[in-house]
Amino acid sequence: MTAAASLPAGRRARWRRIAGDRWAVTGAAVVVGLLVIAAAAPLLSAVEGQDPYTYHLDALDDSGVPRGFGGGISARHWFGVEPLTGRDLFAIVVHGARTSILVGVAATALSVLLGVLVGMTAGFFGGWYDRITGRAIDVLFGFPTLILMIALGAIAPAALPKPALVVGVIGLFGWPGIARVVRGQTLALRGRTFVVASVSLGAGPLHVLVRQILPNLGATIIVYATMLIPGMIGAEAALSFLGVGVPPPTPAWGRSIGDAIAWVQTDPMFLVFPGAALFLTTLAFNLLGDGLRDALDPRTAGVAR
Amino acid sequence: MRLLRFAAGRLAGMILVLLIVSILTYAVFYLLPADPAQLSCGKPCTPQRLADARAFMGYDAPWWRQYLDFLGGIFAGRSFGSGSAVVRCAAPCFGYSFRLDAPVSTLIASHIGVTFSLAAGAAVLWLVLGVSAGTVSAVRRGSLLDRTVMTASIAGVSAPAYLVGLLGILLFGFTLDMVPVGGYVPLAENPVQWAWHLILPWCVLAFLSAALYARLTRGQMLEILGEDYIRTARAKGLGERRVIGRHALRNVLVPVVTVFGMDLGGLLGGAVITERVFSMQGLGALLMDAVGNVDLPLLVGVTLFAAFLIVLANFAVDLLYGVLDPRISL
Amino acid sequence: MRRRSVTAVLAVTAALALTACNANATPTGSASSGTARKGGTLTILTSSSSVNLDPAKSQNLAITTLGLIFRRLTTWDIKPGQEGKVVGDLAQDAGTPSDGGKTWTYKLKPNLKYADGTPITAEDVKYGVERSFAPELSGGLGYHKTLLVGGADYKGPYQGKTLDSIEVPDAQTIVFKLSKPFGDWPWIVSMPAFTPVPKAKDDVAKYGQNPVASGPYQVESYQQGTALKLKRNTNWDAATDPVRTGGPDNITFQLGQESTVVAQRLIADSGDDRDAFGASFVPPAQLAQIQANASAKQRLVTSDPGALAYLAINTTRPGLTDVKVRQAINYAVDKKAFLVAAGGTLGGDYASTLITPGIAGRAQYDLYPTPDPSGDVAKAKTLLADAGHATGLKLSFAVENDPQSLAKAQAIQQGLARAGIEVTLKPLDSDSWFDFVTNDKGDYDLTLTSWQPDYPSANANIQPLFASSEIGGGGFNLSRYSNADVDAQIEQARAEIDATAAQKQWQQIDQRILTDAPIVPLIYTRNSFLHGSGVTDFFVAAFPAYPNYLQVSLR
Repeated sequence: MTAAASLPAGRRARWRRIAGDRWAVTGAAVVVGLLVIAAAAPLLSAVEGQDPYTYHLDALDDSGVPRGFGGGISARHWFGVEPLTGRDLFAIVVHGARTSILVGVAATALSVLLGVLVGMTAGFFGGWYDRITGRAIDVLFGFPTLILMIALGAIAPAALPKPALVVGVIGLFGWPGIARVVRGQTLALRGRTFVVASVSLGAGPLHVLVRQILPNLGATIIVYATMLIPGMIGAEAALSFLGVGVPPPTPAWGRSIGDAIAWVQTDPMFLVFPGAALFLTTLAFNLLGDGLRDALDPRTAGVAR
Repeated sequence: MRLLRFAAGRLAGMILVLLIVSILTYAVFYLLPADPAQLSCGKPCTPQRLADARAFMGYDAPWWRQYLDFLGGIFAGRSFGSGSAVVRCAAPCFGYSFRLDAPVSTLIASHIGVTFSLAAGAAVLWLVLGVSAGTVSAVRRGSLLDRTVMTASIAGVSAPAYLVGLLGILLFGFTLDMVPVGGYVPLAENPVQWAWHLILPWCVLAFLSAALYARLTRGQMLEILGEDYIRTARAKGLGERRVIGRHALRNVLVPVVTVFGMDLGGLLGGAVITERVFSMQGLGALLMDAVGNVDLPLLVGVTLFAAFLIVLANFAVDLLYGVLDPRISL
Repeated sequence: MRRRSVTAVLAVTAALALTACNANATPTGSASSGTARKGGTLTILTSSSSVNLDPAKSQNLAITTLGLIFRRLTTWDIKPGQEGKVVGDLAQDAGTPSDGGKTWTYKLKPNLKYADGTPITAEDVKYGVERSFAPELSGGLGYHKTLLVGGADYKGPYQGKTLDSIEVPDAQTIVFKLSKPFGDWPWIVSMPAFTPVPKAKDDVAKYGQNPVASGPYQVESYQQGTALKLKRNTNWDAATDPVRTGGPDNITFQLGQESTVVAQRLIADSGDDRDAFGASFVPPAQLAQIQANASAKQRLVTSDPGALAYLAINTTRPGLTDVKVRQAINYAVDKKAFLVAAGGTLGGDYASTLITPGIAGRAQYDLYPTPDPSGDVAKAKTLLADAGHATGLKLSFAVENDPQSLAKAQAIQQGLARAGIEVTLKPLDSDSWFDFVTNDKGDYDLTLTSWQPDYPSANANIQPLFASSEIGGGGFNLSRYSNADVDAQIEQARAEIDATAAQKQWQQIDQRILTDAPIVPLIYTRNSFLHGSGVTDFFVAAFPAYPNYLQVSLR
């Protein structure tokens, strides 16, 4: 921890910068709120006295439209009910937060793990290994990923749990971006005195990578992970929207949005609640990610403020 | 000379990437739990007729054999069936869709106009919009204008394209009845109608992408405005307009062009949502159609073509990068 | 820099009527009156992105797209207020049987011409049928292939062989020799394969894009994914045609139109859309929207209850081999939730039989009555307990991956959950689903579909779904129901030439099959279509529950 030792003072300054960024703080607050909602989803819907699976056909009229104001908003159903089924929309939205955040965060973790691993080793070792990974990244960028995701969803054996598959598929296509950045940073770090010195003192590559390079990548990794999450959540929603995400009846915002678009003229609230939830979530993560980048990313930190 | 060698190296890499993409595509779609021959067997289907159809379309061979036939077709052309009913697909044959009764290359050619019109118009719009908004934002940093642009852009980045597109159709197409809600008129047929039918998709795409470019431009501009040579230029007494326009903007454009090239490649290759939302029949729609109907030759052909566009865009960006920015060593 | 990693597609639209849905019923839904005129351009909005006009590859109904361009030996006379009839089209009548129903003879009307002015001959009809046997042109309706003598081994005319069981004694006469008596043959020759194809104009790869027209319209231009444009065929003689009115001068099919957007356009009813109608069903959300819109409500045409929507139970799967479990599922299903998911009262009526309303000889009965349409959960639980499945029965449910099918499947899922049956959905794109449920493996426990017979007869209602010969290999026996007894009865009823006697037999078979509970009959579906205010003579008759394209005009 040689060169990184100068950090404490800088770190405190960075946190102050984040704390001073109103948007980032708002984003962080919303993110924390969402995490709580996702964790407590069953509890929240239990407070309301509903669950996202039970049909309430009595809440619908003859053509399947929710009775009453705003898509059936009432003391029993806080956000109203879903057309055609009468399932409770509040329960669906809060349980949907679970799906979105779980999948988004897990896929991000997978991408970051792969990206850091590949990027760091490629940047550190260079040579043919670097060229091969570079080519692999080109292949992944060259793939029309959406189509492949649909195909993979279709060929996966039924025994494989669908959420795991969705995480795997999104995560596997998410890593090249972060790998490129990490590779670049590693390349730069490799030439820095403290690394050169420690290599010349006989430290093994594993030691250098884990103890000297990785800690210095921390800020970049955190920033990129935060900025990756909204993309992943969006990807999960897009897959659900396409009907290749988590299968029903497990609630998912993307699927609700896809269903709700047809109903927008008869029951607009059916679109508003899941749509707003998805938008707010990606927005909050984006705001937080921006704030973190401005505060932590050494490249923009000096200039932007 | 250096540039030439670099280009040759990248070209070889490109071909390798395409080869790998095609093998992967073939393998993945071959594993799909659907039998294209069975789908075109007719009603009622008998095992004998199924076997005949499969043999005719060449699906009775193992997957690697089919792949080799496919590769061979690119150079030598292929023919299916025999007798007076032989179906020929001349070289370069990128597959033949029996469902649509046409070589895949013909189908791609007839659909690319839509996708290209969509992408080109939107790209121009978002590039102009994004770069100018980003520049203004950077120059007037901290102003109300800056904050408005940045808020709008972060909202744009966060909104899913399908939602914005569909709401756009509902609002401008149906409720206000201002613009057509879909369909496509070829440019050669009627340029005014062409633009009129594309205006809504252009705006939606541009809104979503411009956000990204505005943020990118602003960040780069701020970085560059802090650099020495800008200070020098200002010190020399050059007007602010000239400093920004001549010196700063040119340097901002390097990373913008990088992203743009990749975005354009991606847009051409995967215009899937936009085309679906706006009922336009371009490459994206063709691809989805192929997926839904298990049209294997079409699927592989279009996927490969999309990959080709993306790889080509990356290649162009690499070259351009080398030309624009002498600091990058080739 | 941030990159949007994924793009998306608007929900894959419900496939337009691959297996179609609906049967006959009492006639319905004539359009508002008004004077039809000759001329104008009619627009048809369809979600299909391609139209294959090769008669050998088509599964088109007699009254839709191909019917506008081609005439067949016989055709369907579909009018509001009367039962569908089979009548002579190119032929003078529906056919003359001899040899106990094994030989059928047709005489062509005199002076029939193609669009290019050349005469239509019996030889061309024979050639058209022959080419439908070619593996190069597979994909069409092929009921005739197993019925004609020597048909099983015939591989089309392209290797120089002809099919000798079709005889053409002169240019106006054609004779079919069948391997066994078949009373429904006049319906068979109304199918697309019985369109005349002049041998000189045939080209396997291109014929489907520019075929030789014999009906009131011919192809002007076709662009896959965009539009099919038809113009008048001046050589079509209205006097010889009993069913086509040929009202509009031009007909344009706009292809690849998303069904929700189509419904919205027709509700808005502006510009050229006034002279348009939608070829796909109006989705439930728009049905609800139309209820609140007086103008659109007037232009909505809903069929009578017809095609049977049913839950197929794979009788070969562990647990489901037990008839008690299958009966329990019959009691546990929540038909009310299903009906709501199908669009409520406009979606259909509760079903309990296999033969659908309007098919001659149908008898109403209910083997699994429940106090109300939501099902009888207690009874289902008792039956499950008897079978040793009081808890822990887990089933997989293959379902088409579009919002409507998923909504219906979830209605089934939650109904069965009440009886302790845990159902997992496996969504598949429509063609993948079709392959998945009709292949030899049959790797599913439950699936959901609906069936409209290809011609209005109890035979076409039951045999394709329950004969053991239709299991796997592309067959539609989705329950994989195999009962030698039933097979024998089906064969016997098919050979019966006396209609009344046949109907009695089919009624017995209907009940016999449901005793084994291989399926749960859910609803007899109703189809709703929407047209613009400039369209007249738009109706959805008894059978089939689709608009009759051949008589639509503009006002």
